[in-house]
Amino acid sequence: MATSLALDRQSRAWTFAAGAVCLLPLLLQLPLRLALGIGLTAVVVTAASWRRPLHALVRLLLAAALVGVVLALSHFAFGRDTGCALLAAMLALKPAETFHLRDARSLLGFALFAPFATFLLDQGPMSLLLGLVGAILALAALLRLAELESGDGRHPTSAWQRFTGVWKLAVIGLPLALAAFWLFPRLATPLWGVPERAMARPGLSDRMSPGEWIDLLNDDSTALRVQFFGAPPPTSQMYWRGPVLWNFDGRTWTQPGWLRGVPGAQVRSTGTHWDYQLEIEPTDSRQLVALDLPAFAPDGTRLSLDYGLYARRPLSTLSRWRMRSAPPATFEPQLRSVLRRMALALPSGYNPRTIALAQRWRREAGDNDAAVVDRAMAMIRGGFGYTLETPLLGRDSIDEFLFEQKAGYCEHFSSAFVVLMRAAGIPARVVTGYVGGYRNPLGGYWQVRRSDAHAWTEVWLQGRGWVRVDPTAAVAPERIYDTLADRAPGAQGLFGALVPRPVFDASDWLRHGWNDFALGFDAVRQRRLLSPFGVEDVGVAWLTGLFFGVSLLALLWMTWLTARAERERDPVLRAWHQLGARYARLGLGREPFETAARWAERISIARPGLAAGLPQLSHRFNNWRYAGRQPGPEAAALVRAVRRHRPGTRIPDESIGDRR
Amino acid sequence: MAATARTLRQRLSARVQAWARPRHPETLPVSFDRRRVYVLPTGFGLFFSLLLLAMWLGALNYNNNPALMLGLLLAGAANTSLLAAHLQLTGLQVSAIDAEPVPAGATLEVRLHVRADPGRARRGLRVQCEDATDVLSLVDGAGQATLSVPTQRRGWLDLERVTISTTRPLGLARAWAYAWPDAPLLVYPTPESPGVPLPEGSGADALARLRRSGDDVHHLRSYRRGDARRAIAWKPSARRDHLLVREYEQPLGAEVVLDWWQLPGLDNEARIRRLARWVDDAEREGRRYRLDLPGHAPLGPGSGPQQRHACLRALALLPASDAIT
Repeated sequence: MATSLALDRQSRAWTFAAGAVCLLPLLLQLPLRLALGIGLTAVVVTAASWRRPLHALVRLLLAAALVGVVLALSHFAFGRDTGCALLAAMLALKPAETFHLRDARSLLGFALFAPFATFLLDQGPMSLLLGLVGAILALAALLRLAELESGDGRHPTSAWQRFTGVWKLAVIGLPLALAAFWLFPRLATPLWGVPERAMARPGLSDRMSPGEWIDLLNDDSTALRVQFFGAPPPTSQMYWRGPVLWNFDGRTWTQPGWLRGVPGAQVRSTGTHWDYQLEIEPTDSRQLVALDLPAFAPDGTRLSLDYGLYARRPLSTLSRWRMRSAPPATFEPQLRSVLRRMALALPSGYNPRTIALAQRWRREAGDNDAAVVDRAMAMIRGGFGYTLETPLLGRDSIDEFLFEQKAGYCEHFSSAFVVLMRAAGIPARVVTGYVGGYRNPLGGYWQVRRSDAHAWTEVWLQGRGWVRVDPTAAVAPERIYDTLADRAPGAQGLFGALVPRPVFDASDWLRHGWNDFALGFDAVRQRRLLSPFGVEDVGVAWLTGLFFGVSLLALLWMTWLTARAERERDPVLRAWHQLGARYARLGLGREPFETAARWAERISIARPGLAAGLPQLSHRFNNWRYAGRQPGPEAAALVRAVRRHRPGTRIPDESIGDRR
Repeated sequence: MAATARTLRQRLSARVQAWARPRHPETLPVSFDRRRVYVLPTGFGLFFSLLLLAMWLGALNYNNNPALMLGLLLAGAANTSLLAAHLQLTGLQVSAIDAEPVPAGATLEVRLHVRADPGRARRGLRVQCEDATDVLSLVDGAGQATLSVPTQRRGWLDLERVTISTTRPLGLARAWAYAWPDAPLLVYPTPESPGVPLPEGSGADALARLRRSGDDVHHLRSYRRGDARRAIAWKPSARRDHLLVREYEQPLGAEVVLDWWQLPGLDNEARIRRLARWVDDAEREGRRYRLDLPGHAPLGPGSGPQQRHACLRALALLPASDAIT
């Protein structure tokens, strides 16, 4: 292979700028420290190697160091985000060896993977916008590189021309891209599993340590969007159940994994139910949330014993679920002994004061479980406060909370309440999820934000089964049910004071529409693509046919564009050439050296009678072409005459006479 | 192994070349229509399509719509870039080709004149003929490229197919078209070097030339275009503000006869080289000369660019065989 062309200053600048913009959205998705590290490395490496390449050893050491840092931060678990971080790290180091055309092109190729990787982690509007800008810049940089390769230094293209060039390419290619997007058959089941995240997961997790949710409770982004069909429940009934936590080790509540495999417990419904569609922002876990108790498991999910819903695949992209929920009249009225033991288990040697208190209540209440629950609620309602500013709790965390701090938030309340119940001999468990919702006035749907995350409890009572008890709501109902104005979307954010609420409503509404239109499109929606036209289910064969049909149209459009490029602009000349082609089919085409008049003369000699009228026509053509050449009625008449003319159209009289 | 691969590749490329349009030299002007413009991905284009394929598979697998859209947008743009590369060449017209003849062995500067409708920017087209390359950019619908083609033999130069190609706009694909102009490009014979002195003219003229070394100058006259440089009288010129030329009693050396048959003992090519040298020498000395060649009417006598070209052309086009007598 020939050695590749050396890059000039401008090409390098374009390449690096495109690489940087591609890298940016990916960095925004990585943990902050890692993102800062990689970003800084990129800047330093680019600056250090601007004039001459870094020593190979330095490059190797840098690469090894960055890979090491990424792996260490992900605790050597290889997940989707680890892969993305590695890609970002490699991109950050690439400028150190980018001096030739081929390096620049491979850098741009890999840089285009950065927005792709970003979309695997996040599909928010910011990522989309930055990714799009990055892709356009990368194409513009490729344009610049091709310009360099062509060696045409005398006619430089301006940046604006380059962008319009990329724009044209993208727009002409768009029909084909859209056809493939809407019509190319989607996979109903993935070919391979989606690697999960190793470093950070958004949203609820299957464990809870009181005092840890501060980040979540301050995250104002949307977690769910709910469209109710029929009347929605009151906000105080909007408990979106997520992971149910049974096991407590004195510090952390966790979910026993094996319960997922056990089918749902026995539930008797009250008769009311709510139909709704749930749009869940990506969480990267399999667990769905559902309003209270789902009446059935939607396709692709499974119900566990404690009525958790689990999808077959992690929810790594936006997903939508059609559901029906019903508040239970009784929920698992017969508790199996294994479960009963689990729901009563407490770590031994922790929280002695709490246990003593609960046992005292039990002695005083006798067999009446409900009395114990009431007593505990009365205690909490009496002297406890709600605050997000809590000190770190020590070993006997429940004791400290109940008897010293007396203030906390949902995690503390639910945790302490369950420990109290269990100590008093009442089966209890912690339930996490979201509570409440905000009705978007524009879209008429309900928004549930990450900051609505909540933890409450369920206690098992004889005859009724599991009953929801929310001790936090007893303390601060306004915090829980979104009835305060300052809990409206955006009010807590950086711009909360500056931007009016309708702006936030509108932005979420737009996002909802975009989700509806593009992000939520999948195999199921695709099959119903033609339902507005009365076709309810489009099969794969039909889709493929449609796809090829539309692609063919798009290709035809492109062919037309190429054909148009060589089309003669002048209508008279065009018609004249067509006329020449008609004679050429008879072997009487005009030779390149022949004038129009000579040609007409030759034909009339060679095939008398065939080309009657051609000499006059060629004379007119000559006159038009070499005298004046003005467009106008005269030219139009000439065009018509030339178009009408056919070889042998007018059969001369004598030949007819001969035949007679 | 590598050798067989190479010959295989050569054979394959020869087959492809034989199949590609145009298959024969053609008279100019030649327009590139869409049937003779070829587009194939470059190495980078293949790499890029692999990237896109990976993106597409990944996005479909995860049903990740933004990722899919990104991949498809890029694919659409890449696909259009093939079209754009194609459009850089369609509608291009190679209108003429010419070159100043040079002696064999020197490089012939072949100029390719190209026209197109001025609507589309056509910049940085690469023009290549064997190893000679140049960059062609059309300004206001016209452009010119110069190819430095090495020459080996005298006579008509059969130009190989000229490739006009571009990898613009994205470098993903290379579009190319062949122009195979059937235009006569003349290569003069190589003059002999070092040369032998010119043969003397006949009779008194020859004597007059011999005595020229004395200052037997009839008079001086002012310089006219085309006067031989050695005839300029530098010293008298320096005293005036214009150049003066010595005018001899009789035209210098009168008429030199360059006769093919007066050069026995040399083979044909050597004779041609010597005669070519003599033509140049006579021209340089500003003398009139006549060239007698087999199969030709005598050329001249005369001097000046026309005469020189006629003589060198005749020499260049002499048959190569030893059949000349």
